[in-house]
Amino acid sequence: MRFSKSSLLILTFTAVLAASAQAQSGPSQIVLAVPQFPTPKNVKTDGGETGVIGIQISQQIVSDLRTTRAIYPTGPDGLRHYTPTEAGAPLYPNWAGIGAGALVTGYVQARDDGRINVVCYLYDLKTRREMTRKGFAVEATEWKRAAHRCAGAFYTAVTKRPGLFDSRITYVAATGTRTQPVKRIAIMNWDGTDHSYLTQGGVTVTSPRLSPDGEHVVYMSFAGGMPNLRIMDADGSNDRQLLQSTSMSFAPRFSPDGRSIAFSMAVDGNTDIYVVDSNGGYPRRLTSAPGIDTSPSFSPDGRQITFESDRSGTQQIYVMNSDGSIQHRISFGGGSNSSPVWSPDGDRIAFSRWTGANIAIGLMSPAGGDEKLLTSGWQDEAPSWSPDSEWVMFQRTQQGTGTGSLHMVSVGGGEPKSVATPQPAADPSWSGVVQ
Amino acid sequence: MIARGLILASALFACAASAQGYQPYPYPPPPAPGYPPPAPGYPQGPGAYPPGPVLAIPVLEQDLRVKAGSDTVRFGRDSYVLTPQSQATLTAQAQWLIQHPYVNASIEGHADVRQTRDYALALGERRAAAVRNYLIASGVPPEQLQIVSWGRERPTSEAVHDATWLQNSRVVTVLKQPSQQLQPWMPQPLPLPLPQQ
Repeated sequence: MRFSKSSLLILTFTAVLAASAQAQSGPSQIVLAVPQFPTPKNVKTDGGETGVIGIQISQQIVSDLRTTRAIYPTGPDGLRHYTPTEAGAPLYPNWAGIGAGALVTGYVQARDDGRINVVCYLYDLKTRREMTRKGFAVEATEWKRAAHRCAGAFYTAVTKRPGLFDSRITYVAATGTRTQPVKRIAIMNWDGTDHSYLTQGGVTVTSPRLSPDGEHVVYMSFAGGMPNLRIMDADGSNDRQLLQSTSMSFAPRFSPDGRSIAFSMAVDGNTDIYVVDSNGGYPRRLTSAPGIDTSPSFSPDGRQITFESDRSGTQQIYVMNSDGSIQHRISFGGGSNSSPVWSPDGDRIAFSRWTGANIAIGLMSPAGGDEKLLTSGWQDEAPSWSPDSEWVMFQRTQQGTGTGSLHMVSVGGGEPKSVATPQPAADPSWSGVVQ
Repeated sequence: MIARGLILASALFACAASAQGYQPYPYPPPPAPGYPPPAPGYPQGPGAYPPGPVLAIPVLEQDLRVKAGSDTVRFGRDSYVLTPQSQATLTAQAQWLIQHPYVNASIEGHADVRQTRDYALALGERRAAAVRNYLIASGVPPEQLQIVSWGRERPTSEAVHDATWLQNSRVVTVLKQPSQQLQPWMPQPLPLPLPQQ
């Protein structure tokens, strides 16, 4: 991955050695040939000529896959050219002897409506079988996202795990002073590219959450002088209030299908969890215990919700069915525990624990137990999962200055890695990936 | 505890009221049935017509701080319990608000920066609600009060040290002009029907 350049270099060397040994090099690494995508007819589009887009897409696929351990991509330079017709029916003898275990083909074609078709295939050169294929009709300027999704499909075909390449991260960029902060919602690709701001800092905003498909952002805003939920498209357009309510609402999170949003609403000192359709409408109340129930997060099958509640006297983590039934506590490991987030593979819940002196990121089983702490900063909080459930991104606050920054830590443990952002950052949310 | 606070509060309030010749604020009588409603643009509701010259909000806030001792009450970590000291401050604030019925108050709850963000918002609201309920119990009309939680988004101190972060657990009474007051008071003829001959 981008954040471990040194290990990537080592990986590159071993991969080059492996490439000469043909096909499947290591026990878990496959060499993938990515020749440049042809086009049936070179047409000028908003995103450039289709022939050029074909070269750029193959380059993007290579650079995406180069960040993984499982795949070593080669090309597009130095590989033979082929016709769009061959993309769907490769001439296997022509690809023998290039030292690859698998082959990526595809083509770019201008459409009559101004958009482009991007089609990509992955073939196993040993068994001469197609492993996967993808086709997209996208705006010509959006060719990069098509390339990310092709790379993700290839990664999934090889490893059976979701690829991160088309995933995005939204967070709160914090400038200004601590007592007069300026907060803007920012969004970027998972690798830090294509960074932009979605709100302009006139109003304090917190907790942006990406929909699973990465197309929408729900967040909390002080617009109107009262914390309330708003939703917008992931390019900042279509910004609107989610609820017609005079009570304060916060802590939103999408359901795995993106159709509903769980959140908290506070009425007269009592905070409970509600669910509302992501198009708005009338919220359904799920909890009614006296006290504060907040930070809901759905299980990946959408059937359960984990949340935090102080009904026992301290903040602890609970699980309930998504209709509000069978609310039961799962955290018994000491301290006060908050902000639970269910992993996309369903196996773990990430949370923050106040130990009395600092706040740490931890993991536990959704059934309770198996608790372990992953970090030991002064204040590490707001966990968010990578789409492949391998990493937890979180916000780390420095003691003294109070400056926040994004970090990520492997579920296996180890030293957290810093995630570069242009400004101090808080509240990360990592999208899912579209399969 | 709350009941005792109430008794204490009402007792204090009674003393203060008699000592300063307090007169309950006269609400305008309800309109007679059939009376045409006021035209749009006219200030409406209690507090709409100030009994005297209107002072600027910062001046009034300074006055509140002097008369009530403070515009802020503080809390322990995770707590929303009003200490005896907080109750005394709020009782004095309630008197001030009753004497200034033409000013609204926004009760703004905060939590310290070492709470997680969602919980901080909920805790700020819970503290603000506790303060509002105390003020209402002390005689302040509910429509004069509104509550809002800032969570941990507006700390008072710049630095974050173990010694200082709890200062941010607080509720501040912030004065606001009633929204009607923001509209210019434009005397306009009432749209009465012409008398029929």
